[in-house]
Amino acid sequence: MIPLRLRGRAEATAPYVVRLSTARDVAPGPGAARLVTEDDEGVAFSSANGLLAIDGVCAAMLDGDVVLVDPQRQWVERLLRAGSQHNTLVVTERCDQLCVMCSQPPKKTHVDRFALLEEACLLAAPDLLIGISGGEPTLFKEELLAMVERVLGVRPDLSFHILSNAQHFTEQDIPRLAAPAFRRVSWGIPIYAATAGLHDAIVVKDGAFTALQKGLAALLVAGARVELRTVVVKDNLAALPELARFVAVRLQFVEAWSLMQLEHVGFAKGRWDNLFADHRAAFAPLAEAIDYAILHGVRAQLFNFPRCTVPAAYRSLARASISDWKRKFPNRCAPCREQAQCGGFFAWHPDDQASQMVQPL
Amino acid sequence: MMALRRHPLPAGQELFVNAAGRFFLASQAARKRIDSSALLETDRDFLQLQGHVLEPGDTLGHLARGYAEARRAVVSPQLDYLILVPTLRCDLSCSYCQVSRVAATQPGYDWSEDTVEAVLRLLDMLATPQIKIEFQGGEPTLRPDLLRRVIARCARFEQREFVICTNLQRLDDEIIALLDHPDVFISTSLDGGPDVHARNRTGSAAATVRFFGNLAAVVARYGPKKIAALPTIDPAALPDIDALIESHARHGFESIFLRPINFQGFARKRHRAVREQDDDWRAYYERFVRRLIARNWQDRSRVLEEAYLSIALRRIFRPGTERHVDLRSPNPLGIDYIVIDHDGVVYPTDEARMLARAGVIDLAIGTVAGGWDSPARDVLNQHSSNSDDPACQRCAFQPFCGRDLVDDIARYGRIDLPRHDTAFCRRHMHLFGFVFQLLYDEDEAVRYSLARWLRLPGAMAPTLDYLA
Repeated sequence: MIPLRLRGRAEATAPYVVRLSTARDVAPGPGAARLVTEDDEGVAFSSANGLLAIDGVCAAMLDGDVVLVDPQRQWVERLLRAGSQHNTLVVTERCDQLCVMCSQPPKKTHVDRFALLEEACLLAAPDLLIGISGGEPTLFKEELLAMVERVLGVRPDLSFHILSNAQHFTEQDIPRLAAPAFRRVSWGIPIYAATAGLHDAIVVKDGAFTALQKGLAALLVAGARVELRTVVVKDNLAALPELARFVAVRLQFVEAWSLMQLEHVGFAKGRWDNLFADHRAAFAPLAEAIDYAILHGVRAQLFNFPRCTVPAAYRSLARASISDWKRKFPNRCAPCREQAQCGGFFAWHPDDQASQMVQPL
Repeated sequence: MMALRRHPLPAGQELFVNAAGRFFLASQAARKRIDSSALLETDRDFLQLQGHVLEPGDTLGHLARGYAEARRAVVSPQLDYLILVPTLRCDLSCSYCQVSRVAATQPGYDWSEDTVEAVLRLLDMLATPQIKIEFQGGEPTLRPDLLRRVIARCARFEQREFVICTNLQRLDDEIIALLDHPDVFISTSLDGGPDVHARNRTGSAAATVRFFGNLAAVVARYGPKKIAALPTIDPAALPDIDALIESHARHGFESIFLRPINFQGFARKRHRAVREQDDDWRAYYERFVRRLIARNWQDRSRVLEEAYLSIALRRIFRPGTERHVDLRSPNPLGIDYIVIDHDGVVYPTDEARMLARAGVIDLAIGTVAGGWDSPARDVLNQHSSNSDDPACQRCAFQPFCGRDLVDDIARYGRIDLPRHDTAFCRRHMHLFGFVFQLLYDEDEAVRYSLARWLRLPGAMAPTLDYLA
């Protein structure tokens, strides 16, 4: 696993964002931190905010990273790692749903870091796709949209993928979301079933399905780019073909529909046996849902499905979806010829289970 | 419940289709429940999920319905497809040549330098990131210099596709250098074995040998994917189905476009009988498709398809992804594609060019130098959608079907015949009726081919909507 949070000491007292560089000739200026020393202990960078020492790392590993330095907690958070396509900014840990399988269970407190995250975006490498997640980002919709608009105003080369439960979009948001800048924003939106009863039970919120449809309607009218996300659990597995019809009839405008296998972390860890639907034994509803969607021009794809666990005909739909920093392969995968295209397992997936599931190709 | 159009299928079953092209098959019992307004709770749920019942206040449902209808009606407003005729000269004289071609030595039938310049200026002005150019003729390989100039001028486009429609009589170093270009594709005619091909096209044994030699050479050099070989079928002399399939499959061509002789050009004189396709043709077409299905089932190593059937399938399920301009509605003329003839005159379609050459009616809409935003074009476009036709409005297949003004003019000299009295309508009523029969066929061989033609990872079996 690639560490995202490092121990570090800083001269400054308030949190700040810098881009780390090992190059000698990096122009000094706001946001630029230049390497000053590197030894067995670690590295030190200097910037307008003073010295920053990070222990136990080598400079090359951090070159180009945009980091958030929190002097009080002595944290250095790697917000945008150089060369990685998997960077996600968490804008809040609050959420108004309590999905049964949530991988990052929400917290009541909210620490407003929008200003720092905006600085980070402005320091991003050219053409970067930046993920935004939570909690539920649109609980702070005004701050979120304003940040995206300002960043894209200055950096039209960047783009955003924002995970949202779409509970909070209204008709009033449509003109704003229809602005040209939002062509560079796609929304990842969870939908678990075609009926209110089942969807609301899975997200543990009454009225969520009704609100979701309103939110999706606003996004449709705005011409927003939407990726639907459906985590497969025991409760919705059999209902997937029905959901495929719902998507093909009512949500034809989406760019993709991602069917996702469970992540062994957060709520799902403790509820694994009640939630995990072993698709190896019961792929039929997934197959029917996928075929129906593709038949009707909806781009269906599989996330978090190791390729060898998917029937050959559907294997090309299994994306290497697990972010590089949290991906792992059990030892048994070593001889597999398709590892490069495979998403593998989440780093926190129990080794014995992972090992049992795979069959090297 | 929203309005549904209907089409009867065997065994008392009936196909129901809405204006957005969403459809389901109802059993005889279900049809009776619908007709007598005796819907069961489960019927209602089914119809609601399919978008056929919309509750007041269901904003997303109403929007989705509008979106689906609009998606079928969207046509690119941007010119990005040019059919170019750099010369009308040809070194063959096929019996059903679709344009009045001229002899290979005849002067005055190539683009003038002014026309070349006007075409190149047009390419410079196009605001599209992608361009498709089809070189027609005549025989375009008689003027490789013009092809090279056009191709070179297209370097600025992000995506380029050039199709050279050639009789493959000439394959020297100069032509090979052109074809080697990765964006260049070859389209040729392949009517069957050497005897059929010689009778219909080449005329002489030497030219026939040259054609098959060059065909083998380009397949060997580029693989079958770079080449489209289209048969033209004489309905008065229907070829043996397996021989026809084999004549294509032998070269690795998996997509066979079963085209009857087009009632155009010289065919009007020499093949008068082809004005209407009759039941014999339609029965032949079905036998051909069923033979492909059987062959696909027997030999899973490759998937053979009839190209027009696959176009119809994509029209049914994936509106907006199919750009075949002969089957669409609205079918605006002179907007997203045009034909530029050997003399710089602009026609809305290749068939329109042929009608003008044949002296039937002049459907020219302008010139490449002077433009074609003309009253003639506007008149045509007032009638270019099937959604305004009262017969089409009642037809279950209207959302999938097209409108072809030029075809009506070619056959009848008018565009206002009752739709059912036109060959276009009869052909497509048959085609879509046949397609839907296949779609609900429970035979596993049929389902296998359908799933492959529609590029599904899995099976067709459980996927189609049926109200029991």
